[in-house]
Order: sequence, then C-alpha cells, then structure tokens
Amino acid sequence: MKAEKSLKNPFEEKIKNVKTQDIKKALQEFISRINFDYAVFLNSCVRCSLCAKSCHYYLTFNDLKSIPSYKLNLVIKVFKKYFSFTGKKASRWIGAAELNNEMIDEWVDTLFGRCNLCGRCTLNCTMGINIPYLIRIARGALAKIGLVPPGLQSTINTALKKGNNMGISKHDWLETVKWLEEELRQEVNDSNARLPIDQKDMKYLYAINPREAMFFPMSIFAIGKIFYVTGESWTFSSTNFDVTNYGFYSGDNEAASIMSKRLVDSLKKLKCETLVLSECGHGFNSNRWEAPEWLSKKYGFEVKSILQIIAEYIKNGKIKLDPSSNQKIVTLHDPCNLVRLGGIIEEQRYILKNSVLNFVEMKPNRERNYCCGGGGGQLAMTRFAQRRLEVGKIKAEQIKKTGAKIVAAPCHNCIDQLNELNKHYKLGVKIKTISEIVADALIIKQ
Amino acid sequence: MQIYLKYGIIFSIIFSLISLFYLLIKTLSYGRKPLYSKPQENNIKGILYAFWKGILPWEKESAKNYLLSYIAGIIYHLGIFSALFYIISLIFNLFFFNFFITILRLFLITGIICGLGLLFKRIFIPQLRLLSYPDDFFSNILVNFFLIFTLLDTFTLNIRILYFLITIILFIYIPIGKIRHCFFFFCSRALFGVFFGRRGILQKRKFN
Repeated sequence: MKAEKSLKNPFEEKIKNVKTQDIKKALQEFISRINFDYAVFLNSCVRCSLCAKSCHYYLTFNDLKSIPSYKLNLVIKVFKKYFSFTGKKASRWIGAAELNNEMIDEWVDTLFGRCNLCGRCTLNCTMGINIPYLIRIARGALAKIGLVPPGLQSTINTALKKGNNMGISKHDWLETVKWLEEELRQEVNDSNARLPIDQKDMKYLYAINPREAMFFPMSIFAIGKIFYVTGESWTFSSTNFDVTNYGFYSGDNEAASIMSKRLVDSLKKLKCETLVLSECGHGFNSNRWEAPEWLSKKYGFEVKSILQIIAEYIKNGKIKLDPSSNQKIVTLHDPCNLVRLGGIIEEQRYILKNSVLNFVEMKPNRERNYCCGGGGGQLAMTRFAQRRLEVGKIKAEQIKKTGAKIVAAPCHNCIDQLNELNKHYKLGVKIKTISEIVADALIIKQ
Repeated sequence: MQIYLKYGIIFSIIFSLISLFYLLIKTLSYGRKPLYSKPQENNIKGILYAFWKGILPWEKESAKNYLLSYIAGIIYHLGIFSALFYIISLIFNLFFFNFFITILRLFLITGIICGLGLLFKRIFIPQLRLLSYPDDFFSNILVNFFLIFTLLDTFTLNIRILYFLITIILFIYIPIGKIRHCFFFFCSRALFGVFFGRRGILQKRKFN
C-alpha cells in the first residue's frame, strides 16, 4: 500500500500544487491552439448528449463523466470563462468555469483517462463537432505545464532522447535487421535476399513501429518477404525508423513535430520518393495527416500506409497469394486512427479477401467501428489500465460474435490491447498484422 | 403601441444579426489555418455529405439510438422556422391564405409538443440535467413561449403585445445564449464535412 502511494503521489501532488503562473501558461498554450475551426466547435455544443451511446466508455460505465459532451464541456467551460464575453460576465448562467486545480484534476482524469481520441462521437454528433481534437488541445495545455500522466510522458521522453519510443539503440536495430535478413534468406532460399538499410535513391523509405523490432519481429520479416517477392526498391533508415508519435496522444505539438520531422529528414537524406508507414494507426494519422500541419508545410513526397502498397501489388498482379494457406476464420479490427480518422478503409479488406479463405466482418465496422480501448495513449498510462480493460469488453464481444480464430489488426497499439483482451476475456484468438497474413499466403517462385 | 413593438422587433433582429456578425468576426479572428496535408478526396463531397446523407437518421447511430429525441429535435426546429416565417410575414404585412395558416398551426403545435418534450427530458433525465446550465433551460423555455404565442396569435389578436415582447426578448437573447448554435450549426457541419471529406472517410470507396 505504501509503495503504491509513493508511486502515485508525485503526479497527484503536482496537480494539487499547480501554481498561478502554470495556469497562465496552460491557458496561453490553450488559446494559441484555437483557430477558426475550433472556435466554431467550441460555440456549437448544445449538450443534447445524443453522442452518449456512441462512446464505448459510456456504454461500459453508463456514467455522466463518460458522455462525450460532458468531456467536451470541460474544455468549453474554460474557453468561455476566459475568452467569451458572456462567460466572463455570467459564468454560472452559461456554465463557464475557471481552470483551477480542481478543473486540472478533472481534465487529467477525464480528458486523459476517459477518452481514446477515437472520433466515434464526432461522427455521431448532431453538430459535427470534432470532439477528440478539442480534447487534444486541452491535453496539449496540460503537456505545456508537465501534467501528462507519467507513463505517456516517459514514452515521449524516450522517443525524443533515443530516437524511438522503445529506446532501441542503433546497434540493436542493425543487429535485428541483420538477423531477420538471414531468416529471410533461409525462407526464400536466396542468399541475395536483403533487408536494405540506409540505401539512397530508393522508391520507398519504410518506417516501423519499434515494438515490431522488440516484440513482433515477424511483422518486419513479413514485409521483407513481400518486398523481396515484388523486387521493390526500398530501404529502412538506420537512425530514424520510428513511425509512432506519442506527442499526438499527449497533445504536445512541439514533441510531435520533432518526431515527425525526423522521418521527413531521413527521407530527404536518403533521397527516397515515398514514406511508407508500417501498420500503425496513430502513426499513420500523425505522419499522413497531422505532421504537415504541425510542421506547417506541404510535403513534396507521398506518405502511404503499407496497406495501400500491398493492395496495389495484389491488384497489379505483382504478388500472387494462395488463400488456402489461411484457412481459419479471420476477422478484421479497424483501428480508429487508420480508418475513421485516416481514410484507409477498403485496402485491408481487399487484401484479406485475397489472402484468406474465410473473412468475416465485425459489426459495426469500417468508420463506425468501436475502438479497442488502447488508443489515445491509454496503453502507456498505467493509472487508467483497469478502465482500459473494461472498455475493451465491447471489442471483445464483437470478436466473439464473429466466431473468428484470427483477428487481423493493422496497428501495433491495437495489437497490444487486443492481446490483453484476448487473455482477459478468454477469446482464444490469435492477433496478427495484415502483412503477416499476406506473407503466409505468398506464392514464391523459386 | 403595436407599431412601436413592431419597430422593437426589427431593432432586436438587427441587434441579433449585428451581434452574430460580431461573433463571426471574433471567431474568424482566431485565424483559419491553411491545410498542408494532401487531400485524399474532395472537400465538397464531404460538405454535401455533412448536410444531406450525414444527418439522415439511418446514417447516424446516435439518431437510431435516440430516435424519439432526434425526431422531436427536427420537428421542434421545423416549428421554430415556421414561427420565424410567421413573424417576418407579420412585420412586412404579408397576406396568408387560410391553407397556409392551417399548415403553420400544425407545425407550431407539433413543434411545441416536441419542444416541451425536450425540455422535460432535460429536466427529468438526471445525466442530462447535470450536464445542463440555466442557459439551456431558459433558451428552451423562451423558444417554447415564442412558439406558443405565435400559435395563439394565429387565433386571436388579443395577445399580440405580449407576443411581440417575447419575440423581442428572443431575438436579443439569440447571440447571448446557446441559441446562437442556430448560426454556428452551418459552419460546424461544413467543417465536419471538410475534415472527414478530405480524408476520404465519408465517401464509400471500393478498392479494386
């Protein structure tokens, strides 16, 4: 108990002891992030709460704090209090409130702890308010004064300091690639098969989720195999290979920009044509959609998901697949940042229909899918772990109903959460990336 | 007296429009950030979706989950638009055919029933009540009064002074409280359409 307290206290003490100058700093950050779009949204909520049942937190806990409009109104209250005439003059009448220690405590618990930033509420909002992006702004204000929950912040710190969120050294990364290259040579029976590193003038620069190198090397192997079969011109970077961006989750645009810029710099240094992103939901949303906004510049190159590349290979006949290699029933999880917020919706379905015998959709699916509960930085924030597992029940039930034995999940964040759900809810399924499934079905001509 | 109140309504409408215009200028002053990421699909398609398919009840899970509230909301707003049409017509001395008056009354009666239903929902559902502020209740009550007095005015001229007074209060209150959403709704839905539209999420695409 004592040990637990001592682990909890520093962050909670920090919240309690927030000083006036910190609050000013947070408010400055908050207002600096408000543009026309966000100001419109902040003036639009009518608290109809029709969004309630679209949120998996509300469906799980059925409490006030889990209603998206409640979460959003925590942000609106502060906006009104400091930046609207009526809010300043008649706070109680319109529900404006100060950003004080109490509100900060609630922001941390609710905006970090009860939201996956999945965007399902937005799709169902009568007014069309971009709720997760407004919550992200409030998170950003907290990030400015060092109030990001420790687990999430330490992931960001590691990425900023070591170049990737797992803190993998360059030596270890190169060793992993070397080992996988040997595996690939054996698998395809070709001593010239390669996993290229730092090759210049290639078509694709391929960025991975560092968890792949650490825990799921077979997904890197699968990509190597696919690129080998197509004879693709591609490379890894020896230094900047991390597709993830936890600054996206913490709302820290400064950190997020640094991380995204690394990939851009690598691509330019290696003179590649296209940045190809591994199966990572938030990594895709960050680098495809958000990074150009953080960096305030148009990219002179394409940013694509590996799923788009594989789907094109199949369509153009560059790879041949034998679906009978994957005979078990396969279902597909739609990662929110890849699908609902990213726009990669049909490619994974096309791939699976070509590489497995029995593909079953979850219901609901595509942009209407339920979040698995792992997004929004929840996996890194241990203080909310119990909630995360509980809200995952909806996804677990969805999986159960399909009768599938394999769950294809094109996101490593989701894979971690799904693996936990698999154990917790005794689903008895295997979680795989799409690339792994494709690699299993690949027909290799000797 | 009535003629002065008529001018009062015109001034309150002008006040409302100027205030809403000021709100728009203030909102615009936050700046429109240019979008740098390369769009996957057309913004316009997204905006069209946001104002058409995207608000149809079978397209929105929230509408399906709360079908009664959703329909009540639509009918309530139809009633409001009818009442606005009526008051503008009165100001400009436009003539109504009896047939139109009957239709108008129908919209007003159903609008009042739905408006009161939504008010009771806000009062009696604990989570919704806790999420509400005085502004939420007042706005609803004010609009309901406006609808009720519009309806009464179609039957008798005896309440006209009170009707005009309520109308003046309503127009003055629009930019102050939550009723301002009537103005922001269009911007908000359009921005929703742009966000999801350019990312190619709302348009069903086939990959083959």
